[in-house]
Amino acid sequence: MKKTEYIKLIDTTRCTACRGCQVACKQWNEMPASRTRNFGSYQNPPDLQWNTWTLIRFQEHVDKNGDFKWLFRKDGCMHCTEAACIKVCPSGALYHTEFGTVGINQKLCIGCKACISACPFDIPRFNQETEKVYKCDLCYDRLKGGQQPACVLSCPTSAITIGEREAMIDKAYRRLDQLGGKGVVYGDKFVGGTHVMYILSEDPAVYDKLPVKPRIPASVILWKNLFKPFTLIGMGAVAGMAALHYLIKGPHEVHEKKEGDE
Amino acid sequence: MTNHYIDLKNSDVILIMGSNAAEHHPLAFKWIMRAKDAGARVIHVDPRYTRTSARCDYHVPLRSGTDIAFLGGMINYIITNKKYFRDYVVNYTNASFLVNPDFSFKDGLFSGYDAKKRSYNKETWTFQNDANGVPLKDPTLEHPQCVFQHLKRHYSRYTLEKVSSITGVSEENLLKVYEEYSATGAPDKAGTECYALGWTHHTTGSQIIRTMSIIQLLLGNMGIAGGGINALRGEPNVQGSTDHCILYGNLPGYLKMPTASLATLGQYLKKNTPTCNDPQSANYYQNYPNFFVSWLKSLYGNAATPENEFGYSWLPKLDDGKHYSQLHLFDRMYKGGVKGLFAYGTDPAVSSPNTNKVRKALEKLDWLVCANIFDNETASFWFGPGADPKQIKTEVFLLPAAATMEKEGSQSNSGRWVQWKYKAATPPGDAISCGDIQIRMMDAIKALYAKEGGPNAESILNLKWDYKDRQGNMDVLKVAKQINGHWEADVEVVDAGQKKLFKKGGLVPTFGMLRSDGTTSCGNWIMSGSFGEDGENKMARRGKEDPTGLGLYPNWSFAWPVNRRIIYNRASCDIYGRPYNPKKKVLEWTGDKWVGDVPDGPWPPMADKEKGKYPFIMKTDGVASLFGPAMAEGPFPEHYEPLEGPLAKNPLSSQLINPTIELFSSDVDQVANASEKFPYVCTTYSCTEHWCSGALTRWQAWLLEMQPELYVEIGEELARELEIANGSKVKVSSARGEVTCIAMVTKRFRPFIIEGKTVHQVGLPFNYGWLYPKDGSDSTNFLTPSVGDANTFCPEYKAFMVNVTRI
Amino acid sequence: MSGKIQNMVRVTDPIERIAHWLLAGSCLFCLFTGLGIMFRSWEFIPELLGGLYAVKWMHIFSGVVFAFALAYAYVMWKKDCAFEPDDAKWIAQGGGYLWKTNNLPPVYKYNAGQKLFFWFVVVFGALIVLSGLVMWNPTAFPIAVARWSYALHALSALVIGSFFVVHLYLGTIGNPGTFQAMTTGWCSRAWCETHCPRWLAEREKGSSES
Repeated sequence: MKKTEYIKLIDTTRCTACRGCQVACKQWNEMPASRTRNFGSYQNPPDLQWNTWTLIRFQEHVDKNGDFKWLFRKDGCMHCTEAACIKVCPSGALYHTEFGTVGINQKLCIGCKACISACPFDIPRFNQETEKVYKCDLCYDRLKGGQQPACVLSCPTSAITIGEREAMIDKAYRRLDQLGGKGVVYGDKFVGGTHVMYILSEDPAVYDKLPVKPRIPASVILWKNLFKPFTLIGMGAVAGMAALHYLIKGPHEVHEKKEGDE
Repeated sequence: MTNHYIDLKNSDVILIMGSNAAEHHPLAFKWIMRAKDAGARVIHVDPRYTRTSARCDYHVPLRSGTDIAFLGGMINYIITNKKYFRDYVVNYTNASFLVNPDFSFKDGLFSGYDAKKRSYNKETWTFQNDANGVPLKDPTLEHPQCVFQHLKRHYSRYTLEKVSSITGVSEENLLKVYEEYSATGAPDKAGTECYALGWTHHTTGSQIIRTMSIIQLLLGNMGIAGGGINALRGEPNVQGSTDHCILYGNLPGYLKMPTASLATLGQYLKKNTPTCNDPQSANYYQNYPNFFVSWLKSLYGNAATPENEFGYSWLPKLDDGKHYSQLHLFDRMYKGGVKGLFAYGTDPAVSSPNTNKVRKALEKLDWLVCANIFDNETASFWFGPGADPKQIKTEVFLLPAAATMEKEGSQSNSGRWVQWKYKAATPPGDAISCGDIQIRMMDAIKALYAKEGGPNAESILNLKWDYKDRQGNMDVLKVAKQINGHWEADVEVVDAGQKKLFKKGGLVPTFGMLRSDGTTSCGNWIMSGSFGEDGENKMARRGKEDPTGLGLYPNWSFAWPVNRRIIYNRASCDIYGRPYNPKKKVLEWTGDKWVGDVPDGPWPPMADKEKGKYPFIMKTDGVASLFGPAMAEGPFPEHYEPLEGPLAKNPLSSQLINPTIELFSSDVDQVANASEKFPYVCTTYSCTEHWCSGALTRWQAWLLEMQPELYVEIGEELARELEIANGSKVKVSSARGEVTCIAMVTKRFRPFIIEGKTVHQVGLPFNYGWLYPKDGSDSTNFLTPSVGDANTFCPEYKAFMVNVTRI
Repeated sequence: MSGKIQNMVRVTDPIERIAHWLLAGSCLFCLFTGLGIMFRSWEFIPELLGGLYAVKWMHIFSGVVFAFALAYAYVMWKKDCAFEPDDAKWIAQGGGYLWKTNNLPPVYKYNAGQKLFFWFVVVFGALIVLSGLVMWNPTAFPIAVARWSYALHALSALVIGSFFVVHLYLGTIGNPGTFQAMTTGWCSRAWCETHCPRWLAEREKGSSES
């Protein structure tokens, strides 16, 4: 099957934070609501949850010129090409789909939570009751059926759009030109390129919970690229050496003193 | 809307003032973003920085209730700096008309004020006429008595300094907006205005809109693509309900409700049918009798005959000088003067001002009938907070109603598009549509009257009431066709030189064919033409053709009147019919006909002195009104302070508040102006996540999750002063009541400098009630005063005074 | 029988042996299930044990057993495994396992190699338990702690696993006569003279005195 990689582009300069996407996501994925409290912000739930795969983050920001800005960022899975979550997932529940996105198969998930801390974007969430991890799968079922993801479909201002990889990267940079260069394209320069990209009006460092240089954590690389293979190599090597020792030196016999052998 | 949603994309400058478009019209905002993509400037003027502000080029905060001052300053700027579109102003407005020399304006009052009645005698608010009864004009606009000079004098008082001091907007920001917006006075530039409840919810609401209309006329922005004054109305058919007379003073199609003194049809028609002696004025309302009599025929059918004045005498009449708005209704109910109330799809125990008064008033009813898709605070008022069920004798009926998706019918958007929709699901359980509830109830009432008789029985017994299908349910198509209108007899009509015979029972193709002799019936004249003669339901049209390229989509649904997408569109062309902006041609006169949108009448442009007509055909004089004597407060809008404000004196005159508003005086109608006890200006609003009182949306878990409870937005400066922490519980109180809620401390509210003093403003949404969620607090309207606009009685939810305390 | 016992020495008591096998068993099981979780190629392990999800819980459960066994073993053996100066000499000569040596210092209960193994198991066992606890509920810890726990867990498994193989070899075929120490608890006198001469001497002296 021919692979068509998709990118979902989130243009924060067009987002009105109506949160249609947040509801559409729950509706399509049949995720229940949580009982929340107002904690002094429009943002709610306060963070991503196992049942909240996408969340508009509201942030009040005063820029260098002293201008006030209310920043809205739709948070959710970035669908990395070099996906830490897939790298650490023991069960194959997390996988790359034919669209380049990171799918999740809850049937396979064993709830080991390795992906939760491995993710450079802090996306996967654990459900205590089902003992499984949840996150956006970019509406894999809809993509397969030739439909747009629910969030894209719900967006009234075309702040969220989806299309083929190259075309969307191109679109992102054209939009940046339209904005007179006042903005940042985020997503194409790390982890092999994400399949969700942002057009940000501010420097990425300004945004809450957005890593400036996301990458697969060093601990994961050490673990998966070094320790993991060396566990087998090490044990195998030691076993081999023991065998060699047995063959060359033979067993370490006890010293006979008085009683003789029996 | 004079224009329509898609047309917003054609604008060069969009002023969003009195609206939080991004939050409350998120889909409409798409077109504002399209305009922005095409290079338009989008300006937001609003007391608070909202999600709309975040997407505009810039936001200018102003104190709640000072919009007229802000806009008056713009009029002054436009005239002083000659930014107006002179051709347009001279030809298409009453700027050149000479005003009655006895007309005057002094210290906040126009001539003819009666302080006792709190109203005006308008006899001096007129024009000087020539011998033929046609108003005298001075096209040079120099005559000191001409409207333009009056206008100039009136708004010369609105200097930058004065306006800044009233509104709290810096002079720099005022100039920035004025300059940018008045640049649309160029013939090829379009400026539009989007407003909503931020303008209507004031004691000066209608006049705020009038002020903007004056600006739009001065800049030549009416009738053009990307122009107009655009009320962004509620999603669920607010436009439709207004078209079909939700307001007490109206009959369908904005016909006037008769008053008791107009005893005969003749008197009524004489009063409401304007006459004009200028042959070039189409004065389209001269057809008023055709619309009204056809409406009577639709109401009483065969029982309506010329002999009985088509049943005019059976119509209920308003008492002269009495008002019947919701404010009056609850005032009267509170005083024990109302027996029963139908509250369909409404939750006044949350949504009406002065909740304490409303809930007490409900206790005085004998019976209350509610029809809703969920229970709400009104239907359950008798066991709500502070109510003692043992003491309340009101009998309450809660009827389960079908939701909008469970009904077929028409739905009108703000752009006057009447779109047909189909039923998506069957209502659950015993729920039926409100129409079916009405039909069954009226059937029963008719049967009772037939059996027992009663006062004004003819009105009920003669009512034409045959809107059922074979199963006995409401037949929406029958209703819709009656609204469109039928021929009540075989009639031969001469149309464009052709004789044509229309058969009795056939559909009337357009309101131009309605007659006052009883040969046509029509339930709502503006909707006439929504069906084709052949029975085609034009509201169900879904053609995506766009011949003008302006997004008019003439084959998508039906827009009243006669599928016109931009009203007053003849004003988009000069007096010869040449479009002012050839790049965005709404209409063009080709020498024998108009091409483009459906024109405001077929007549040639006004340069043709014989057959030509002025463009504003619905106005008696054929031109738009810079001088508008129909308004209660005066022909020119004037800034008055809200009923409750931070100032003891109006900086512009001795008239502190709107001199024509009605003041209610019950024991619970307390007012605290410029009081130390309630030092903060407060405004109320909705949020994207909830709708109106939240009676529908609070039950929706996904929406409640996002906005779970009542909050008050407080600026950081005030919060610091009051030592209020973000997310903590606070009490907000006014002279009328109090609510507890969560403090949302934000940079989005900044204090204003008003008349040299720091004034803080706070704001609360009005989407919560005690019934559900249980811990989401209660109605914000405990705080708001029962007072309304002098023309519409729309309550002043947007500006009053409160105190905020920690708890 | 008595004659045999005459030639045998009881080197461990039952509690010691139970502790040892709990530790060894849970460790082996953790290793086995851990490998099954870590390596997709070792799918036969979860297949054998009723699926990966079940294996996750088995791993956690046996990890808890391991933690308690380790704690007990630490208390029990820490004295016997305390290093003494002679251990350096023993290590310098590779314990006589790698080349021929004549002057190995006489060992008390455990030789330096065994002590080293004990301390590696204690240290990395503690690390694997602690990191495992973090991994059980990673969101309760700072992200860096959670992330490094995974690496540390893998590293500890690598260390313990490798030592385990050495221990297995030396405790069985590498040193004939040793395995009984952890089965019956009885070893030959000769074995004791070879592996723990000082301990044997002290024990025999003590018993003759009494």
